[in-house]
Amino acid sequence: MTVDPLLLETAERVFADTCTHDALERAEADGFAPGVWGAAADIGLPWIGVPESAGGAGGDLADALAVLRVAGRHGAPVPLAETGLLAGWLLAGAGLAVGEGPSTLVPGRAGDTLELVDGRLVGTARGVPWASAAERIVAVVTDGAGWRVVALAPASSGIERVRNLAGEPRDTVHLDRVEPAMSAPSSVSPDELRLRGALTRVALMAGALEAMSTLTVAYTAERRQFGQAVARFQLVQEHLVRLAEDAALVGLAADAAGRSAVTFEVAAAKALASRAASTATKAAHQAHGAMGMTREYPLHHLSRRLWSWRDEYGDERHWERRVGELAAAVEPAGLYAAVAGGFQGAPPR
Amino acid sequence: MTLGFELVELTEGERALQQEVRAFLAEELPRGTFEPGLGMDAPADRSFSQKLGAKGWLGMAMPARYGGAERGAVDRFLVVEELLRWGAPVYHHWTADRQSCQVILRFGTEEQKQRFIPAICAGDLAFCIGLSEPDAGSDLAAVKTRAVKVDGGWQLNGTKIWTTAAHEADWFIVLCRTAEAEDRHHGLSQLLVDLSSPGVQVNPIPFLDGGHHFSEVVMTDVFVPDELLLGEAGRGWEQTGNELAYERGGPDRFLSTWTLVEQYLRDHEGTELGERARELTGWAVARFWGIRQLSIAVNRMIDRGLAPAAEAALVKDLGTRFEQDVIAALAELHDGFASLDSQSLFERLLARSILAGPSYTIRGGTTEILVGIISKGLR
Repeated sequence: MTVDPLLLETAERVFADTCTHDALERAEADGFAPGVWGAAADIGLPWIGVPESAGGAGGDLADALAVLRVAGRHGAPVPLAETGLLAGWLLAGAGLAVGEGPSTLVPGRAGDTLELVDGRLVGTARGVPWASAAERIVAVVTDGAGWRVVALAPASSGIERVRNLAGEPRDTVHLDRVEPAMSAPSSVSPDELRLRGALTRVALMAGALEAMSTLTVAYTAERRQFGQAVARFQLVQEHLVRLAEDAALVGLAADAAGRSAVTFEVAAAKALASRAASTATKAAHQAHGAMGMTREYPLHHLSRRLWSWRDEYGDERHWERRVGELAAAVEPAGLYAAVAGGFQGAPPR
Repeated sequence: MTLGFELVELTEGERALQQEVRAFLAEELPRGTFEPGLGMDAPADRSFSQKLGAKGWLGMAMPARYGGAERGAVDRFLVVEELLRWGAPVYHHWTADRQSCQVILRFGTEEQKQRFIPAICAGDLAFCIGLSEPDAGSDLAAVKTRAVKVDGGWQLNGTKIWTTAAHEADWFIVLCRTAEAEDRHHGLSQLLVDLSSPGVQVNPIPFLDGGHHFSEVVMTDVFVPDELLLGEAGRGWEQTGNELAYERGGPDRFLSTWTLVEQYLRDHEGTELGERARELTGWAVARFWGIRQLSIAVNRMIDRGLAPAAEAALVKDLGTRFEQDVIAALAELHDGFASLDSQSLFERLLARSILAGPSYTIRGGTTEILVGIISKGLR
């Protein structure tokens, strides 16, 4: 998989410059980070992976995921995944205009009641990222006959502000007979949408794990106790190693899953990433001691995001069950070959 | 983080090799006709190894002039992966193929290469590892086995321990002290020792399951001719470090308990798995898939001439701890009872893996040693 190194360097520069500690803190208080968004939008980063013909910035899925991974490294507090890879993908796929400004997506959680009744949207959707900051809220809903992609203006809905553990808006949206601004039949089912959503979280988590590993290695090399760097202690080294293992495992799984977004690979990657979120944050915090528990030190920007993204679009047990179902559907004699091949070529179930 | 894992895409040739090995195993070793091994814990079968040799699947990276296939580490990964997941009887050629031929190629004389490598590639010769001693385990530089220069060769005295398959192997490569040195990493050498030499005595050390897997090898005034000094006298430490560095990242470090998972699914084929069973088999399969990517990436790095010592150690640590977790997961799922005497293959595999499992994170470098190597690579 070859992603243009220049694209990655540019993304790295944009997010490193704008996602400062202060900017992340302000974003939590304000519910949005216009500076981060503006810098990313200026060079088209949110629309990478959306075809230019649909109003996107071109590039393929691997490019978009690679940029998202950089954003994950810096905890970029903007709806980057939602605008291009999720809402943009849905809109473009349904022949609708992608539009300008940030878009968000109804992730479709269990218990949501959103539906299309007589051409109007009714019900409640939860966990909608940055709903009030977005130009449009996109959802896949049923009209009783099939799936439709709809887009609506946030102003036409009642938005209840809810934040995830990282202080990122994950709002509840109430709709009472709202006429969508756009609507078209969808070729994407809610299951496929969830898979795509999981893929975006894998990329973000791979970035956050990388950053967490780097940060923890650096901190423990500097911090001295008993006359030496704490990284010299074997028990501390064990934390560093387990954290690096999680980062390496999820990093490569993210690359593999991003190649062709086959159900098995995405499911396996999200299962690994969500499990790593627990073990890696535990190791990183233990290695940091009390410093990692302060608001001032940046570890929490990463750990709180990992704890949040761990559950978004399905937690580890959800995806492990899914992988288990896919594995059980293969004849056992052929299972190893299927796993080694990433179930490439197997029809998505 | 400075670790350099990159996703591996297999070439057409590599995929074809995979298919060829699968077809060979289905033909040569049909399921149900043999008791599958648990990774490298599998029987030694010289004639099976010779068949692999005839296919060009032993010593795969060796030059053609020594009987090798001139293929790379990824090719070897793909062949070995298929053999291990099949539970094939790999032990006869195991050590010779994985590491002995590599060190002989790298440090051996032309005469040694011609004498040993073709025989290893043919599956004829079995090697074992002469490193650990009663007082030198993880601290290998503490070896006390000593070789003294005599006319035409070396006189060797000492004791090696935990030597896997010493009773079945033909040769072993002995790390011994040949000179005193202020720095104890100097003055060590490697000797190629014929296990049938006079003065070599192999004493079985019963394994905890009662079987005979490893031994103590006592060497009393063993004469080793000059031409069997491997590499340079006094450089044994560096040569050994090299021997251990990359072999750690192979498929044997995460596949030891695959047959257990596969057999569980075979036993439940056609029945709906319960929620916990779907969850745990899914957990295991996802991790097999993920760790495999890391392991194959290490082998691609070796083919590119890189030195992935920390990456290989990481794969071993992650992979072997996973192998053990798989045992616990399947033991949780299974209602019956693990026994070596069971009529059920799954129960026999479960029993064998419970008994052998602790060795996964000990053999080939303990977890504790690996943590030191990996954390050096992170700095």
